[in-house]
Amino acid sequence: MSTEQKVREAETAPGPVVLTDEDGGLDPWTAAVWLAARNDNLRITLPGAPAAVSSDMADKAMDTLTALAGPRVSTGDNPSRFDDLPASLVKFEPGDPGYRGRSSTYMRGGRPALILRPRTPDEVAEALAFARRHPELQLGLRSGGHGISGRSTNNGGLIIDVGAMNDIEMLGNGLVRVGPGATWKQVAAFLDKYDLALGSGDYGGVGVGGLATAGGIGFLSREQGLTIDRLRAVELVLADGTQVRASAEENQDLFWAVRGAGANFGVATAFEFEAEEVTEVGWAQFVLVSHDVAESLKAYGDVAREAPRDTTVFWLTGPPRQGQSVIQMYGMVDSGDADTIIERLTPFATTALLAQQQVVVARYADVMAQAGDVGPEGHHGRGEPVARSGFLPELTDAFARDVAELLRSGQVFFFQLRHMGGAIADVPAHATALAHRTPEFSVTAIGADRRGMDEVWDRLMAKHFDGLYLSFETDQRPERLHDAFPAATLARLRELKRRYDPTTLFRDNFAIVEES
Amino acid sequence: MTDYGHDLMFGTFVTPNAGAVDLAVTADRAGLDLVTFQDHPYQPAFLDTWTLMAYAAARTERIRISGNVLNLPLRPPAVLARAAASLDVLSGGRIELGLGAGAFPDGVAAMGGRKLTPAQGIAALSEAIPIIRDLWNTGTRERVDHRGEFYQVSGAKRGPAPAHDIGIWIGAYKPKMLALTGRLGDGWLPSLSYLPNGAASLTDLNARIDEAATDAGREPSSVRRLLNLMDGAEPEQLADLALTYGISGFILATDDAATTERLAAEIAPAVRDLVKRERG
Ligand SMILES: Cc1cc2nc3c(=O)[nH]c(=O)nc-3n(C[C@H](O)[C@H](O)[C@H](O)COP(=O)(O)OP(=O)(O)OC[C@H]3O[C@@H](n4cnc5c(N)ncnc54)[C@H](O)[C@@H]3O)c2cc1C
Repeated sequence: MSTEQKVREAETAPGPVVLTDEDGGLDPWTAAVWLAARNDNLRITLPGAPAAVSSDMADKAMDTLTALAGPRVSTGDNPSRFDDLPASLVKFEPGDPGYRGRSSTYMRGGRPALILRPRTPDEVAEALAFARRHPELQLGLRSGGHGISGRSTNNGGLIIDVGAMNDIEMLGNGLVRVGPGATWKQVAAFLDKYDLALGSGDYGGVGVGGLATAGGIGFLSREQGLTIDRLRAVELVLADGTQVRASAEENQDLFWAVRGAGANFGVATAFEFEAEEVTEVGWAQFVLVSHDVAESLKAYGDVAREAPRDTTVFWLTGPPRQGQSVIQMYGMVDSGDADTIIERLTPFATTALLAQQQVVVARYADVMAQAGDVGPEGHHGRGEPVARSGFLPELTDAFARDVAELLRSGQVFFFQLRHMGGAIADVPAHATALAHRTPEFSVTAIGADRRGMDEVWDRLMAKHFDGLYLSFETDQRPERLHDAFPAATLARLRELKRRYDPTTLFRDNFAIVEES
Repeated sequence: MTDYGHDLMFGTFVTPNAGAVDLAVTADRAGLDLVTFQDHPYQPAFLDTWTLMAYAAARTERIRISGNVLNLPLRPPAVLARAAASLDVLSGGRIELGLGAGAFPDGVAAMGGRKLTPAQGIAALSEAIPIIRDLWNTGTRERVDHRGEFYQVSGAKRGPAPAHDIGIWIGAYKPKMLALTGRLGDGWLPSLSYLPNGAASLTDLNARIDEAATDAGREPSSVRRLLNLMDGAEPEQLADLALTYGISGFILATDDAATTERLAAEIAPAVRDLVKRERG
């Protein structure tokens, strides 16, 4: 039978169909796409990858069809590299439809050898058993794919991606149960129906799994505490495959460790948070222009320090152009009252020359909803991000001067202060694995060149900091572990790591390793 | 006054993303002649245009489908010829081949295509078109061999044969590309907004195509003139483009269903009326 006859028959057949490649006959890829569109339930096997100029183009074609028709087309000639894959697990290897859209993350390019996508804690345990059998594969965990410190993609390794575990469920009394694969935008939209909100960060596209195991410094943190401070219980699959629940009542050690160093201890499969009532908020975006960025930064620091807990304003700039800095501020006032909003924000708007302003009364969920959705092709980060982080105890004159110099160096294209204080500092240092509770700001810089960035950062910035927020740090020199975790915290983490993950299976994000 | 006498065609120019299939279906139901998709595979937010075209063709009944224009450096002629002929067969002769020399060389390189200078791009296109036509021609059993600077084909079997004469429509602006269009193309497919002096440029550009066609022993009217309209379309404007500048294919850039329907229900009939009255 010719391919054409086969296609005509398959248009109305219950399926499945195996296409072949005959000389001078129909192009199998075009025929497969045609059939997938004509017959919604048909499963189609191709004789090989789509004919294309490159594997990227072939992958793109496959991913497009997956986006349009679901994963119904497979290539007969893409046998798995692994003979011990758990049969029930959804997997993606290079050449599989859907692989390309999952190989990169928001910030990072990669080409893992295998991506496993478990849908239940049992499947997570199976995926971890596979990871234990394959110590040669570098392991990365992924939830929302917005990791910076967390290597949620890699080259040639294994990724366990729990993005499909994204249920959100109301438990009552403000308690919400959330899967790691949900995004904060989805969480906000869900809670909005109950007039509740839960602080996370400034970007709604970020995933729950990565942020809620590390900290969560966002627009509501000064009022509600960090996201980890709202955590009441977490369910994890440990390195050996056991499923545990940790809370103030059970597995307290793990509960402590997850709140700041979670990626070292297990794959979180569900989080239970206590949200708080939040209805309307003031949302502001300012663009200011400054000829003296150090002065403007200091002025911002003075205002931010005095701000009440309901007000959180982040500060962002890049390299100056012709001696002039463009500063962006964006922030939130937890109040729907226009006068209060204006009163809180005016001091910020006057720390430099105001060029543009937008202030609106909105729902917290609307602010989170500004984040883009991930398109049909998934993330498309490339290369390695170069980011540095520091917790700033006090925004001093000397710091502001050094920031101006740092910006002039041209090594940094993104420089941000996240406003801390308030409820973040109500929690004692020893209460969670994130022990840095009293900084005024979390400082983040992103550059393009690892060496250049480290040189200016080490020289100009390091001395001003006490610790760092691990989520924004990509430097892998061993000292960074000590910056993330003060001595007492690190000692306890090491002890727990020996107990719960003795083979250091989990090492993609500030791996707690023994002193060498 | 130039009018090459072709029947008028109306269509849309659609962004190749998740909404594109629905827009193609809308255009088909509304009775438009053509739906076309831009092709920028290195743009991560976009779908693969060929896959999208095949999918849209399968979901529509009457409308013709084309790339606008397909990026040759990322779509080698032998692959393209076979794919286009296959889809033409499956769709009952509804495929046209909008083709370009390929812009954005860095994007092309990032997707694994060959990075070509503009001059190389033109040379590659003039190599590719005869290869494509050769592979479509199943009138002989002789195998296809081509040793060129850009493409090698050795002993390829011809076929499949397209269901109709697929038009090769070329996106061209500069003299060399216009000459190539006159020599080898079945259609010319530029965008109005990229013409240096807007519609007024068409006289000169048409003349270059006409001249190249005549030099190659072809009728100027064998090259249909189409035009992408990026900023809306009004009946009088389109009628003028048809009667004064010989444009017979009007392709409106829109991702909006209502605009698509209005093009079919109001603008196209109005333009057809105006042109019919003038042509007599
Ligand atoms: C645009 C942007 C804005 C941001 N803004 C803020 C902000 O305002 N405040 C803030 O606090 N942070 C912010 N972050 C940092 C963010 O919180 C971290 O990058 C976080 O890790 C992303 O979570 P994810 O699930 O999307 O990441 P993924 O890439 O999926 O994971 C990152 C890492 O988290 C760990 N991890 C992921 N899932 C699990 C799991 N289920 N169990 C255990 N460990 C897991 C792993 O180590 C993994 O490598 C921002 C990041 C980006 C890209």
